[in-house]
Amino acid sequence: MNGKKSFSRKTAGYLLLIGLVACLPAFLSGFPYGILICCFIMIYIIAVSGLDVVFGYCGQISMGHAAFFAIGAYGSALLHGYFDIPIPITMLIGSLMAGLIGALIAWPASKLVFHFLSLATMAFGEIVYQFISHSPGNITNNYVGYYTESVSIFGFALDTNLKFFYFALICTVIFLAAKNRIIDSKVGRAFIAVRESSHAAGGMGINVRKYKVTAFAISAFYTAFAGSMYAHLVKYISPDTFMQKQSVMFLTMLLFGGTASTFGPICGAAIVMLLNELLRSAERYQMLIYGIMLLVVIVLIPGGIYGTIEQKVKSYMKKKKEVRAGAESK
Amino acid sequence: MLKVNDVTLKFGGLTAVNHVSMEVQDGSITGLIGPNGAGKTTFFNLVSGVYKPDSGTVEFDGQVISGKPTYKINEAGLSRTYQVINLFKKMTVLENVLVGMHSKLKGNLIPALLRLRSQREEEARAREKAMELLRFVGLEDKAGEEAGSLSYGNQRLLEIVRGLASDPKLLLLDEPAAGMNSKENDDLFVLLKKIAARGVSILIIEHDMKLVMNVCDYIYVLYYGEKLAEGLPAEVQKNPKVISAYLGGGERK
Repeated sequence: MNGKKSFSRKTAGYLLLIGLVACLPAFLSGFPYGILICCFIMIYIIAVSGLDVVFGYCGQISMGHAAFFAIGAYGSALLHGYFDIPIPITMLIGSLMAGLIGALIAWPASKLVFHFLSLATMAFGEIVYQFISHSPGNITNNYVGYYTESVSIFGFALDTNLKFFYFALICTVIFLAAKNRIIDSKVGRAFIAVRESSHAAGGMGINVRKYKVTAFAISAFYTAFAGSMYAHLVKYISPDTFMQKQSVMFLTMLLFGGTASTFGPICGAAIVMLLNELLRSAERYQMLIYGIMLLVVIVLIPGGIYGTIEQKVKSYMKKKKEVRAGAESK
Repeated sequence: MLKVNDVTLKFGGLTAVNHVSMEVQDGSITGLIGPNGAGKTTFFNLVSGVYKPDSGTVEFDGQVISGKPTYKINEAGLSRTYQVINLFKKMTVLENVLVGMHSKLKGNLIPALLRLRSQREEEARAREKAMELLRFVGLEDKAGEEAGSLSYGNQRLLEIVRGLASDPKLLLLDEPAAGMNSKENDDLFVLLKKIAARGVSILIIEHDMKLVMNVCDYIYVLYYGEKLAEGLPAEVQKNPKVISAYLGGGERK
């Protein structure tokens, strides 16, 4: 087995890709708005990767991930605003809070399957939306929105989009690597087993409920961290960023890019984000566009863009190998 | 090893399992037969924790397991296969076996995230053991393939290996020979003997009488949820009640 060799080649590929992305700002120097869009794309990559853990791998749908995005954003901004805790720490606390809330929601919800679960999570999204738009004591400033500051690490303020770009790149790499490691372990296998057959998973000694709850908690942590990044990039948050529409966008990104992979969420987040920008003038029709994209994916390319490409490459390689083997045997 | 004491299970007005008692001896292969609809698979589901009995208890290794969730029963050392193939189809053959080892692996979220040495070593050992198990049934060259792409017979074999992966003391096999051709059937016979030789007791549901009579040490017969007969294969074969149940003889209670 050449496991070691292919591993190092894979690592080299990843490093090359990260290097290329790190060089992106040089090409966008005449187009500062482009850097901002890249920042948003990376934020959404983290958020959608989180959704992928619970939906793509564990097979549990969530129509309310905007709620976790909101908990991360508001959690971090409010903790900083009211208690003056340094921002990177508030981001972590906010995300951990979201993870905990995710687990609390998933505990009873783990008994629900597909459409009932989607209704329950949708309701959760609505509850959080109502909370931030009608907050007790007006702590979130309700519809007016809440202003916050940029991330500052040991006094080094990430106050330009370029600085934030590199911060986001580091975060994205860490979160994606962590996701890979989780999936490539006993825990990840348990997630997939639950998705494939929760009945057989139980029979194989997997505590189905525990793993559903774990998947929700991890997923919530990811999406909330992305939310807190969003808050400190834009420096202003208001409830209309966290409406049902946002949850649908996450799902569209995931399904369009491809579920249960590292690159699916990357492709999906980038393509949908760019489409959003190109079709800015048609913003009224955003939900319609998401709907059409979802239909296209479900009918024409069920594996999503990345999933379909991956499958094509795999079958091509297999064919090539067979041809070679055939030639050798002659 | 396994002791089922007078269990009853009702689905509404229908009594699916009616006051059935049975026992599986250490290291034996015990057969469970009966016509279609006799309640065999329901009985398996009772033992493996999918259903809880309305009355009676299931004892395994001296402790009561009835009422416990399925994953706890698996942890206790009781593993199973399914009548309708229930593999993790999108996972590879190797990964299916690794999932089967779940309860034996200590690894958890944090060690996996940090990729600790203990974690890496455990994973490597698990993979090695999984490959060894695949070699045991001759599926080693299929290790990287998707489980769903295997032939029917091989999927049955993979279910057995996945069940074995947790080092169970008792393996429940629900119609392992269904859909196998006669060559695969002969291989299965050898495999069952080899599994028993590893010290794993087997409780098997099977319709293939040749296989059951040859491989089992002791046989229980279920008929409409009730225990109709029990005994050595030769005794059961001659039992007039069993013959009439299978062939539809004249006398009916």
